Amino acid sequence: MKLTDFLRPEFCVVDLKANNKEAAIRELASVLLPSGKVNNKEDFIKHIMERERLGSTGIGNRVAIPHAPTQSVNDLVVAFGRSVNGIDFQSLDGDEVNLIFLLGTNPDNLGIYLKFLAGLSRLLNNRQFREEFMAANSPAAIIEVLKKHEKS
Amino acid sequence: MIKNILVSVSGSPDSLMAAKYAICLARVMQTKLFIVYVIDSKVLCELLKSRIFVEAEARSYERDLNQQGEVFLARAKKMAESKRVACETFLLKGSVSDEVIAKINEVGADILVMGEMKELSSRSAIFYDEGERIFRKSPCSVVMVKNHAMVENLYKEME
Repeated sequence: MKLTDFLRPEFCVVDLKANNKEAAIRELASVLLPSGKVNNKEDFIKHIMERERLGSTGIGNRVAIPHAPTQSVNDLVVAFGRSVNGIDFQSLDGDEVNLIFLLGTNPDNLGIYLKFLAGLSRLLNNRQFREEFMAANSPAAIIEVLKKHEKS
Repeated sequence: MIKNILVSVSGSPDSLMAAKYAICLARVMQTKLFIVYVIDSKVLCELLKSRIFVEAEARSYERDLNQQGEVFLARAKKMAESKRVACETFLLKGSVSDEVIAKINEVGADILVMGEMKELSSRSAIFYDEGERIFRKSPCSVVMVKNHAMVENLYKEME
């Protein structure tokens, strides 16, 4: 499974306008609407925020991966947003986050969702990958970075 | 002599096709069929360790995967019985490749049937892809199911 099968240029925002957690999640959820895979945006956001209340998905290294399985999406959906200024995500390390990956899946697709998260997690452990993702200044450049590191 | 066939399923369309082909093989060869579904607790541990999941969340996913596994195995068993193939199902938990290999050894499977593997995304994926690991580590011969249309016809035509 390739991460680039799911994260497409049209689902990448290089300069998020949002300046807080919920606004960032809303902005990224909106980006996913043209995919036709989000059948209820407000319900999707509600599930993502409920998951955040269990514990922040700001996992450190200026990265957050808000996620949830929900019937409000028909398939695995992924959006990426970069915040140049940083957003307070109540991260475990206390730092603001710059790289945000929003994920949702229909509960019927749990297997693929878990594999996607595991693959993304492995890439994000790589400092060079994070730095290149942060430096990419267009959706196409973001996808190129992802492709390059997926192949290596 | 071939006595036992084991098929590893995950609930995906590819693994459903693998189950159908394994049922056909077991019927034609008059062997016993073992159907195995493994809950990938290794990936759940990995996501807990990387702090993407919290404990309660991981437990909830494990429950859901357990439920999906039970449903899929019941469906596969029903399919086998409808073609008069004797089968036994196993819902296991752990590293998918380790569990499948252990079950092959335990039941003395002569043939492993598995769904088609997708192209690897990277060189390093070879270390993480469970299908790839099963394929390479299997102590018995492996049949990888590729031609879905042919399998579907074969399965339908078998009374």
